[in-house]
Amino acid sequence: MSQTETEILTPSTIPSTETHVLKPERSQLGFMRPDHSRSVIMDWLTTVDHKKIGIMYGAIALFFLLVGGVEALIIRTQLAIPENDLISAQRYNQLFTMHGTTMIFLAIMPLNAAFFNFLVPLQIGARDVAFPRINSFSLWAFVAGAIVINFGWVLQALQVMGLFEAGGPTAGMTDLAPAMGWFGYAPLTGTNFTGAGTDFWIMGLQILGIASLSAAMNFVVTIVNMRAPGMKMMRMPVFTWMTLVVSLLIVFAFPAITIALGQLMFDRCFGTNFFVVAGGGQPILWQHLFWIFGHPEVYILVLPAMGIISEILPVFSKKPLFGYSIVVFSGAVIGFLGFAVWSHHMFTTGLGKVATAAFSLLTMAIAVPTGVKIFNWVGTLWGGRVRFSAPMIFSLGFVWMFMMGGFSGIMHSSAPADAQQQDSYFVIAHFHYVAIGGIFLAVVAGIYFWLPKMIGKMWKGKLSTWVAIFSTVGLNVTFFPMHFLGLLGMPRRTHTYLEGFGWETYNLVCTIGAYILAFGILLLVIDIIRCFRNGEPAGNDPWDARTLEWATTSPPQVYNFAKTPIIPARDALWEDKYGPENRKITHEDDHGHGIHMPSQSWMPFIAALGFIPVGLGMSLMQAGIPYMGYVAIFGLLVLGFGIALWAIEGPGGYHMHPEVDAA
Amino acid sequence: MSSGLTRCLVYISALTSILLMGGCNLDTRMSTFVTKGPVAETQYDLFMLTVWVTLGIFIAVGGAFAFAIIKFRERPNDDRPMPSQGHGNPLVEIGLIGVSILLLVIIAVPTLKGIWYTHDTPEDPESFMGSWYEGEELAEEESEKPLIVKVIGYQWWWAFEYPQLGITTANEMVIPAGKVVHLELRSFDVIHSFWLPRIAGKVDLIPGRTNSMWIQAGDNFRRWKGKQGVANPMEDSPALRADYANYLEEEIHNYYYGQCAEYCGDSHARMLFRATVVDDGEFAEWVIDERTGHGTPDGKSWDDWYAAYDNNPESLTGDLNDGLKVFMGRGKCATCHVVKGNPRALGVAGPNLTNVGSRMSIAAGWLNHRSEEDGSIDLEKQYDNFYKWINETDVVKPGNRMWKAGGGGIGELIDENGELALLTDDEIHKLSLYLQSLK
Repeated sequence: MSQTETEILTPSTIPSTETHVLKPERSQLGFMRPDHSRSVIMDWLTTVDHKKIGIMYGAIALFFLLVGGVEALIIRTQLAIPENDLISAQRYNQLFTMHGTTMIFLAIMPLNAAFFNFLVPLQIGARDVAFPRINSFSLWAFVAGAIVINFGWVLQALQVMGLFEAGGPTAGMTDLAPAMGWFGYAPLTGTNFTGAGTDFWIMGLQILGIASLSAAMNFVVTIVNMRAPGMKMMRMPVFTWMTLVVSLLIVFAFPAITIALGQLMFDRCFGTNFFVVAGGGQPILWQHLFWIFGHPEVYILVLPAMGIISEILPVFSKKPLFGYSIVVFSGAVIGFLGFAVWSHHMFTTGLGKVATAAFSLLTMAIAVPTGVKIFNWVGTLWGGRVRFSAPMIFSLGFVWMFMMGGFSGIMHSSAPADAQQQDSYFVIAHFHYVAIGGIFLAVVAGIYFWLPKMIGKMWKGKLSTWVAIFSTVGLNVTFFPMHFLGLLGMPRRTHTYLEGFGWETYNLVCTIGAYILAFGILLLVIDIIRCFRNGEPAGNDPWDARTLEWATTSPPQVYNFAKTPIIPARDALWEDKYGPENRKITHEDDHGHGIHMPSQSWMPFIAALGFIPVGLGMSLMQAGIPYMGYVAIFGLLVLGFGIALWAIEGPGGYHMHPEVDAA
Repeated sequence: MSSGLTRCLVYISALTSILLMGGCNLDTRMSTFVTKGPVAETQYDLFMLTVWVTLGIFIAVGGAFAFAIIKFRERPNDDRPMPSQGHGNPLVEIGLIGVSILLLVIIAVPTLKGIWYTHDTPEDPESFMGSWYEGEELAEEESEKPLIVKVIGYQWWWAFEYPQLGITTANEMVIPAGKVVHLELRSFDVIHSFWLPRIAGKVDLIPGRTNSMWIQAGDNFRRWKGKQGVANPMEDSPALRADYANYLEEEIHNYYYGQCAEYCGDSHARMLFRATVVDDGEFAEWVIDERTGHGTPDGKSWDDWYAAYDNNPESLTGDLNDGLKVFMGRGKCATCHVVKGNPRALGVAGPNLTNVGSRMSIAAGWLNHRSEEDGSIDLEKQYDNFYKWINETDVVKPGNRMWKAGGGGIGELIDENGELALLTDDEIHKLSLYLQSLK
């Protein structure tokens, strides 16, 4: 443990010889800043530390992963036998809508964000992200969006308990939870087809979009500007590279959905006609706007997974990543081409021959950089020394399963073949191999790899092996038969099906598989809890790793690195440990200046809190509940108020002087 | 142990796939594996091409991957030197990229051909109405066109209009075997998707625009000859014709299952349809049946029947007359449904009920009464289905407009005092009998 000495940075006291230990200071508004609070809750609500924010993203995302998983289990139970009436059609439709929305926006994206937040500053040798308070704002805006989007479930639960009834002023509150599919195709999202759930979904997604955009811009700036000396772009860890690509994808892709959601909100709340056929609107426009966002979104989800794998395979093969520059470049190409394949989600909408052909070929083209990554992963193992530690087992599983998902993707790229596969269970099989076999396994690999760094405790025992067995077997038993289900004609999003179509056995097997997978995830949760409770101290570098985050303490100190490292090479820590003398990490001399730390702040939290009345107020206003427009305006005022105070409270900040260099 | 684990997982997935492929029948009602028409066949062939190419890649890459995992695993007391810290080999990379592109070209070229082939309705003279349609005279310009069917999607049923023949039916389309049929796809409300897997992949029905596709149940004569190995495509003989007719009769004439494939709201799962593929003669007969429609249950003219209905409804007796009275009166069926022939049953908000008693299913394919043995109608089941559908239409198809249409549905019927008064069991019984008689 290092001794820490803190110095408050105020305009009048630079530099000061006086020693303040963890003493808060007043902001320019005259309020006490919430720095160094003894209240744990206050500390976490106002934190600007990228590590704490990352951990909160991860915890909330894991919670929603379980929520989405329970939704999936209910779906699979309903489909276990033909003509089952466990749940109603409407409830089923709500469940698959929220399963998709939850998993994509509330589980995988924030899980990725958790890794971005925790790792990127450590991997590039920075003290924090470029805009710590925006980082806090992104987190809380995400939480606000999650609350708004799930609010329908709360109302529905109250309704079941008899505490809420749609009548009187709330008579317009029909369809409480969204039930139009996670890509919300117009005109099903119109006011004459769906009710309040759609509004919660629109507003919630819009808020989540703001959260993602602000986080993405933060990471672009961080990665471009905050790298330690010597950390050239081509020396950055691949995970950081993928974070950069993904952040750029978010910056360019989310405006499309922002516009589409805005138009849809105007259609619903103010009677415009962007997607209303009777008013001359074009439902197909929604599909184009949605997928121009939606396809890059697929890569927003999967590129971080590829980054994680590209970090883990070299560590457990004791070799550098094979073809680093080509892996980085192919990631960028995937990001770029990701904007040029959106219409392959729309092959059956009557695009015309030329457009269909173009998107067919472009979709095939995107298989090349993806394949390149797989070749390079194999190349990384080749001639290495492969250790089967838990992160490696999941990473190897990832490569297999992701390959399977990639192959069915190639099958979709042939547009005429896709005419049989589109909207069938074949598609479900395809993207779950990518999402669970790919992204989920990679995220689990990342958790096994980095959790010791995050909490400073090492995994206990071999439960990870059973997690791997159950989740991989469950995944395959659930989703492999779905290829056949789809090719035997079962359309997706059907709450039940008739006997006699040859789907019964497959569905039953899928359902059994879903429970096996769920058991695997349960074991994962248990293992994580065991690690928190019983883990032995992990030490700085438990895996004999290669990148900079392993050069500091586990868990890292609030300031990350006591002295700014100077990076002489790619795989900086590896070179420092085993490389020649001229590739050792050296440190900058701070000339007694110390480390400039950002002050904590309530303002991002307050501003983000304003999103909740905005989202709920707009939604309830659309349902015809009186005065809700004023609630929305009140929310906007809170948001504006928070941002204004944030601007004038001043950045604050203080200096720390860690005496002992932990690295 | 852990490399064993990885292998174990591979074995399990392989075993599962073998079990599933071997243990289950691929020749099912909506299978895309056993196709019955050139469009689905093209799509299936392309699919199989992608399967073989990717299987090849899987074996090569997966093999290399598995080999690397096993060969380069860390052994106990491993005293091999530290692996070389090389950063890759550009030649290997470029080679692999080249091979990938080559493999994709193998898929790309037939894909482009397939896109063009499946997109445009072919000009097939044998499919022109004039060359096969045996019914009444057609307008001159129609004889040079294939059969056109307008498919209109509603929440949650299908209308099939035959504009050249002036008929409309619902949920069960009838098409001639071996002939190109041009479909015009439109939607009344939200997006639906027309999917008849054994005959063709899907195309969406989008409100505000008209999509089109073509389907063909079975090969035409020329394509069939090609598959039989007849060298000269122009060859024709009575024996060949007979063989071809036999092929259509044996393999193509059938009852095909389709379903809406785009999520379209509450009862999306219950928006099915059927296609009956018949020979030219049967098709002509079906058209005449549809055009003629129905008379009154007791053989009176419609004018006489309505005179009695308007002035002295008690004089119309018998179950079928009673059923028709419910149809026209309390049940308000005629406000939304057409029954060809009946001059007052003109509503177009619901499915056309002409010959509904000859259909093998009702409620958009959800309630079935086709007997599996001989393809005839199981009358008992048909009665039960009609009864069930009228009695609890909201349960059979949640959210449908027949039950609640904002004051007009049968779930909202009221008596003269303004009290809710649903149809009685007896009324439903007679209505079911009447609907069964529409054939």
